[in-house]
Amino acid sequence: MSASLEKGLNALREQIDAPVASFFTSCVSCGICAEACLFYQETGDPKYTPIHKLEPMRRIWSNEFTLLGRAKSMLGMGRKVTEQDLADWEELVYDSCTMCGRCTLVCPVGNDITMMIRKMREGMSASGNAPEELVAGAKRHWEKGSPMGDLLPALTAHVKNVEKSTGIQVNVDKKGVDYLVILSAQEVAVYNEVIEALARILDKAGVSWTFSSEAFEGTNVGIQIGSKDLAREFVSRTVNAAEKLKVKGVISPECGHAYQALRWEGPNLIGRTYPFEVVHVIELLDRLRADGRLKTKGMDHAKLTFHDPCQINRRGGINHEPRRLLNMVADNFTETEDAGTMNWCCGGGGGVGSNESATELRLQAFQRKKRQFEAVAPEKIVTMCAYCHHILEESLEHYDMDIEVQGLTELMAEYLEDA
Amino acid sequence: MADKPLLPELMKAHGISRRGFLKYCATLTSMMALPPILAPKVAMALEGASRPSVIWLSFQECTGCTEAITRSYAPTIEDLIFNAISLDYHHTLQAASGEAAEAAREAAMEENWGNYLVIVDGSIPLANPGFSTIAGISNLEMLKQTAEGAAAIVAVGSCAAFGGIPHADPNPTGAVSVADIITDKPIINVPGCPPIPVVMTSVLAQFLAFGLDSIEVDDLGRPKAFYSETIHDRCYRRPFYDKGLFAESFDDEGAREGWCLYKLGCKGPTTKSVCATVKWNDGTSFPIQAGHPCLGCTEPDFWDNGGFYKPLSVPAGDYRKLGLAAVAGGAVLGVAGGAIARSVKSSAAAKHEPVTPDDLEKKS
Repeated sequence: MSASLEKGLNALREQIDAPVASFFTSCVSCGICAEACLFYQETGDPKYTPIHKLEPMRRIWSNEFTLLGRAKSMLGMGRKVTEQDLADWEELVYDSCTMCGRCTLVCPVGNDITMMIRKMREGMSASGNAPEELVAGAKRHWEKGSPMGDLLPALTAHVKNVEKSTGIQVNVDKKGVDYLVILSAQEVAVYNEVIEALARILDKAGVSWTFSSEAFEGTNVGIQIGSKDLAREFVSRTVNAAEKLKVKGVISPECGHAYQALRWEGPNLIGRTYPFEVVHVIELLDRLRADGRLKTKGMDHAKLTFHDPCQINRRGGINHEPRRLLNMVADNFTETEDAGTMNWCCGGGGGVGSNESATELRLQAFQRKKRQFEAVAPEKIVTMCAYCHHILEESLEHYDMDIEVQGLTELMAEYLEDA
Repeated sequence: MADKPLLPELMKAHGISRRGFLKYCATLTSMMALPPILAPKVAMALEGASRPSVIWLSFQECTGCTEAITRSYAPTIEDLIFNAISLDYHHTLQAASGEAAEAAREAAMEENWGNYLVIVDGSIPLANPGFSTIAGISNLEMLKQTAEGAAAIVAVGSCAAFGGIPHADPNPTGAVSVADIITDKPIINVPGCPPIPVVMTSVLAQFLAFGLDSIEVDDLGRPKAFYSETIHDRCYRRPFYDKGLFAESFDDEGAREGWCLYKLGCKGPTTKSVCATVKWNDGTSFPIQAGHPCLGCTEPDFWDNGGFYKPLSVPAGDYRKLGLAAVAGGAVLGVAGGAIARSVKSSAAAKHEPVTPDDLEKKS
């Protein structure tokens, strides 16, 4: 089978529901979403106005879902969406939107523009207008379990190393434990220190947990590329594994859209509620802190700042937890401007970071964070998303900024009180 | 007519002191929203006024405007204003009648062609010229004839300004306002049923003292000095409105306590006039002070703006049927639109083929 324009248009028609119709109807073209958009702000190009990124979908809604539009279409007046339109919009829908959710938050009529971009991507992917990197990632994820290929051998090696260095037994496929721990490909492949950190913290807190050899990947290319069928398959893998292992909860990793996929989109994708709880790892650490099960010793005196991952804070609701944890272990923690729910994106979310064609734009967009970091001048930036971590490192290097980036779980483990 | 005595002599004859006259000029000055420094100029202008000729035409009216102006609180001084002008024709006030009266009008017009002032009270019937005639001349014809040589026209009272009560639904005589007929002359509307006398004379005084160009009018042709603020804005009962204290009927506690009459239909919030500040009968009172809601008589179509006792927020007219029809129509359109949208969506869902990674690329 092949992608086609007709499939794409059909996918868009499927996506247009009552909320979308009311959003398009109520948009007053005020342009406030542009002011909230990282890409518009850093380029000043009005084509990056968030609502404009939805123009092809809006046109389908107008032509086919409204009485006036249908009357116009009958008279041959409505402007149809063409193959070329969708090709032209690829840059706007994939390269210049990290689905960071700022536009949704500022829209005076309450339009969830971010959700509509997610829907718009359904049509883009079904019509063959998704970026090739995401398509390749989806294929690898489908066949080999992760967008970075088969990572099971790497995970197995990490588990062995952690067991050796810490003396803590790390379970794989163990039934009946409290939690199933999910990682992101980025963590398994690059930032694997988090495995040891997590093992030590959970061991100390007396939390039982396991990995699953069938589902250790929290990433979901289906969400990024915009295909509910793919997203459902990837989420199902985790849900099935968790159900098989009969865990009470699944710990979502330090990864933005993994949290978005499992916690918020997942139940809608599979059409039912989970028999287990989904908790973000930082959420869990904060709970352990409150219960007195996470004890630390000593303080990091370096000047620290925190980068909020959009999907975990603004779109995920985890705002105070990381700050409470940071204040446990850092005595020189300084916030950047706009920190918290209105934080600016690192520029790489929503699949943007993997698109080669978006690199220049993404680095231009990073200037917002750059200025904010320069104002604070931290020695270290802490975050709670491995992909933000990756994009921050890459962008800082591009701008010759010598600032260390660290995951929050790892930082907490550094100051864990010894037995 | 040119040998009429000048104002100072008239004042003496009427026993009015110069001080009284200057006080009146100061009042006029402030009413006209002119700076106080101009009061002497008003006095000088009135004293030495060039006595323009005035022709007063009364059409479909009740004579209430004339009654009001001649019974105003300072009749002698207001009377003087009439003396400062040369009132050559006013069929209620003049002694002459019949052909002699019409001859006076024609003579005045001829003598002052292009310079005289026409004051009109009453509306003009268009349905049948015979509905209102004077000396066998229809109102329409007389207005057209007289207006032709006029420097300006002052439409006094709501009938002349907006059609007034004769114009009210179903308007059996086809009554229209002066401005509906005369379009090539400056027209100043001084509406009210009747207008406050001092407002009428102030407009004339300003015309005498500073000329037509000095009179700034709003979009309804009303002098801004008297018609730029609503009665509501200046009403002494306004604090009750702001506190939400309303009389609910004419004999309840609220009415006795003097609370706001909004709920009893007061049109003060949409009516522009100086009633609440200048008041009537020597500044004694005005309708709201007497416990009655404002009827809104200085606004167009005041007679047809819903009931006098219906609160402003209640729409006028047969809105229920229209509203029901609109609701029904909207519902039909909405259901139809919704059905179309749902069918587009569900047929799209039916056409959905599950996507696998192989379906993400176009293969030719």
